[in-house]
Amino acid sequence: MTANQVVERIQENLGIPWNEKTYRDTFKVGDPNTEVTGIATTFMATLDLIQRAHAAGMNFVITHEPTFWSDRDTVNELADDSIYKFKVDFCARHSIVVWRFHDHIHAHIPDLIWVGLARALGWQQTAGSRNRFTFPATTLTALAAEIERRMNIRALRVVGDPQAKVSSAAVGMGYSIPRVSPDVDVVIGGEQPEAGGQFDDTEYVLDAAFFGRNKGQIILGHAISEEPGMEDCAHWLRTFVTEVPIQFIRSGEPFWSPKA
Amino acid sequence: MELSRRSFARLAGTAALAGPHLRGQQGPITAQQIIDRIQKSSPGGTEGGDPTTALTGIATTAMATMDVLSRAAKDRANFIVTLEPTFFGRLDTAIAGDPVYAAKQEFIQKNGLVIWRFNEHWRARQPDPLATGLAQTLGWTKYEAGDDPTRYDLPAMTLGALAGDLAKRLHARAGIRVVGDPQTTVRRVGLLPGSSPLAATMKMLPECDVVIAGETREWESVEYAQDTVASGQKKGFVMLGRVLSEEPGMKLCADWLKTLVPEFPVHWMPAGDPYWRPA
Repeated sequence: MTANQVVERIQENLGIPWNEKTYRDTFKVGDPNTEVTGIATTFMATLDLIQRAHAAGMNFVITHEPTFWSDRDTVNELADDSIYKFKVDFCARHSIVVWRFHDHIHAHIPDLIWVGLARALGWQQTAGSRNRFTFPATTLTALAAEIERRMNIRALRVVGDPQAKVSSAAVGMGYSIPRVSPDVDVVIGGEQPEAGGQFDDTEYVLDAAFFGRNKGQIILGHAISEEPGMEDCAHWLRTFVTEVPIQFIRSGEPFWSPKA
Repeated sequence: MELSRRSFARLAGTAALAGPHLRGQQGPITAQQIIDRIQKSSPGGTEGGDPTTALTGIATTAMATMDVLSRAAKDRANFIVTLEPTFFGRLDTAIAGDPVYAAKQEFIQKNGLVIWRFNEHWRARQPDPLATGLAQTLGWTKYEAGDDPTRYDLPAMTLGALAGDLAKRLHARAGIRVVGDPQTTVRRVGLLPGSSPLAATMKMLPECDVVIAGETREWESVEYAQDTVASGQKKGFVMLGRVLSEEPGMKLCADWLKTLVPEFPVHWMPAGDPYWRPA
């Protein structure tokens, strides 16, 4: 079975039309006609992830995020970069193929990345807006500690009064954190500009806390928020790709944080 | 980059600009007159308050949070110079019906504060004021390499020790995040305070042992740094957080304003590390 045949199988089983204009969900590395020895699904095709996938006997990496450090995986200005050369050479030597699965895994019904995040948070979706959750009243610090433990996060970041009583959250994934609003206590997400963005949750929550309002922002990290969904991706793939082994391999949280 | 006086007046939404003879004038000096003085020296708009307000003191900050504004009001510094937006977004627009926005505006009006954003023109000054200020606060000025305020040759230390030292000197809580092995020895340091693109990291990291950035994207510079480490290079990459990385540059701004505005006290009021994590 070739990498290209795996992608065709995904397109047939997606349940929605393929957007031929996608620049994200395309091959990034290698020859699509390469015979697949095994499939690794992951959040990001870092060099370390590719090396570990190779060591585990997998030569086809299905990644949610870029391989070459930009959304469009633009490589025409990277030819002289030694890290680019190292990564490309490693892939060529070991017949590695990388394909990105971003837009269409989000568009799949249900969004498998979302399914993974909700599962990792341990929250059951209720009726109404899909990204809203309510829970028994707790403190912001207890909520953050529970999420930190469940999702095994090293570099979690939280804004707001640790003792604020909270009982509702709006959750986003990846490069999006919902806009904090009067009808939600806590916003949770992956990654967001700290200031100067469309809406700056961080400054808003700092100021809301100053006025004694029970608001919080919990920043999981982009990888932490979207990695669980790529495990769901592996489960889903196994339902229609049975010819080759399929394994979810964590690219992992990139960061550690010094003690304060 | 230089804004004309006409375009500035439009940005600030003010009717009249002050005349040139500040020192000889009768009556109080206004915030607008100080902005004029800044523009003459470093050719920004006002974010909140009335620019014709009589000045009592100046505060500089990376982000004019309520905490910063309340400290400024207590110290009778009614003109606040901020690097980042005040009203929760790059456009600093009004948010109809929002209680936090309304309370902040009310505080500004009641205390007669004037807030002025000073970002593009401050960052455009040479030498790079954000890097220079960050190095000063870290005590690294004497280690500057090749007359470049973004490069320093430090005594060798581990990446772990460096990160701990950064946390201590910048009074960080949980905002600092690091890529790389804590045991890696680092000596050549590059600084990228504020928000920076992939190209900046791709230029600097190959020439340094560790790059200390403010804010970059996880799928851009962070992945590049991860790949650099995975390729076998003994390097590190630090993200301080945007505000934490920019705040020392606003201390430098306060020092500079003291030379331009000797009539009033100028205070540096850091917003602090916005982030914590559970104990």
